[in-house]
Amino acid sequence: MLQLKMKKQEEKLSEKMYDLVIIGGGPAGLTAGIYAGRARLKTLIIEEMIAGGQSATTELLENYPGFKDGVGGVELAMIMEEQAKKFNTEVIYDRVVSASLLGETKEVHLASSTIKAKAVIIASGAVPRKLKADGAEKFHGKGISYCATCDGALFRDKRIVIVGAGNSAIEEGIFMQRFTKDITFVQDLPYLTAEKILQERIKSYPETKFYLGTVIKKVNGSDKVESVTANISKENKEIEIPADGVFVYIGYTPKADFVSKEINLDSQGYIITDENLKTNIDGVFAAGDVRVKEFRQVVTAASDGAIAAHSVEKYLENK
Amino acid sequence: MALLSNEDREYLKGLFTGMKRDVNILLFTTEEKDFCHFCNDIKSILDELKSISDKIQVKEYSFEKNKDEVEKFKVKRGPALVLMADKDLGVKYYGIPAGYEFSSLVEDIVDIGNDVIAIDEGLLETVKSINKPVHIQVFVTHTCPYCPPAVRTAHKFAMANDNIEADMIDSNTFYDYANTYGVQGVPRVVINEKYHFEGALPEEEYLKQILNSLM
Repeated sequence: MLQLKMKKQEEKLSEKMYDLVIIGGGPAGLTAGIYAGRARLKTLIIEEMIAGGQSATTELLENYPGFKDGVGGVELAMIMEEQAKKFNTEVIYDRVVSASLLGETKEVHLASSTIKAKAVIIASGAVPRKLKADGAEKFHGKGISYCATCDGALFRDKRIVIVGAGNSAIEEGIFMQRFTKDITFVQDLPYLTAEKILQERIKSYPETKFYLGTVIKKVNGSDKVESVTANISKENKEIEIPADGVFVYIGYTPKADFVSKEINLDSQGYIITDENLKTNIDGVFAAGDVRVKEFRQVVTAASDGAIAAHSVEKYLENK
Repeated sequence: MALLSNEDREYLKGLFTGMKRDVNILLFTTEEKDFCHFCNDIKSILDELKSISDKIQVKEYSFEKNKDEVEKFKVKRGPALVLMADKDLGVKYYGIPAGYEFSSLVEDIVDIGNDVIAIDEGLLETVKSINKPVHIQVFVTHTCPYCPPAVRTAHKFAMANDNIEADMIDSNTFYDYANTYGVQGVPRVVINEKYHFEGALPEEEYLKQILNSLM
């Protein structure tokens, strides 16, 4: 059925000074918006692209509690957005260029304006990690893709290599079956890392091929992708896999480049928080995929959002 | 069945309030059934939009039968939507603006209705100064959240300058056509049939690409 998706932009901001600004409108930010709104904090969510963030490019979420038949990534995000707005949280679509977070009043700088707040939750998420192989850069958008939902339909009956074998990789592999059966997974680890149920499901497609313990070395082609060269680590054997498209799901890198250097990050750039999701800076909290944590899921992001909003409420009460 | 929820209708009502001029939407349907999959849906959407604001006018044509209009508005294939004020602005959609592209449609309507060109002043002068014909084709899929900004920027440029025409093209509906341009990732922006770039660039970079293509 036909889906219509709409960004619902606030016409103008109601406040000069917010109690809370949330950077990022994925599951963490939207949930924080719901809790903060209910705590009657004047709250603004700033989202760069679309409500839901990464989860909105997931066709179906099957493990989010409360939806026994699964729920569309976009659909869930739209419900969360409506829910946050119901409690008077405002949402704008704009890009955060930088943020001055050290002072009592936090300043979040957009391209053409600055928003002030007493507290900030950083829920800006993560972006797909780029494939490091010769030629990968050259073919970006010309056969190498990081978004099967966006580009999958362009590869009808084509030969596809999916790099990675975690949840996202396998889910997208299942999604891609509607366009093509010629799918080969290449994973550096010697085993699949996705949930067992997803492993079972992908194995039910008999034409699917797997190269485990195999590292992509090179993407080959003249003006578009023709094959990938990979190395089977154990045998140190080089192979060439014919491919028209390469979809990459090898994890994520945090999106925290706009935050000031004063905030503590781990070696990979994820924001370090305590268990109440406070960062090392007073009045600044982090929630969801952008922070150091073991398990990055929509449900754990939502949980982070609730905790962070609660911590903000406590912080503002004790000020 | 209504395609828009009550909340969406209310939101749009607010958005369309106070529009200064009529927004004319011309729908060109086609008899090619493979392409017109969603034609009935788009008709219902346009009907709903029309019922929300009396400033929105919809006319339906047949790509096969209404040759005069097809020629006048330079419609290349059906289904197509032409969005215009009282004059043609060079703003088109080939395929249905559903999924994420519904946002583009709504934002285009608001800009045309309010008679504004939502481009940064500094850039607007440069866009207006382009004196050669520019045809921008933005290849998208409905499921691509990164695509609407690329469509909107092209449409805004078209609204600003009569020398610029800008088409959204749904690569799913027009799969073979997209293939002739070797589209393997969206958004893909093709300028004057030969020059192209990938991704949703900020307006300034977008404009630079257009200027480069004209050199």
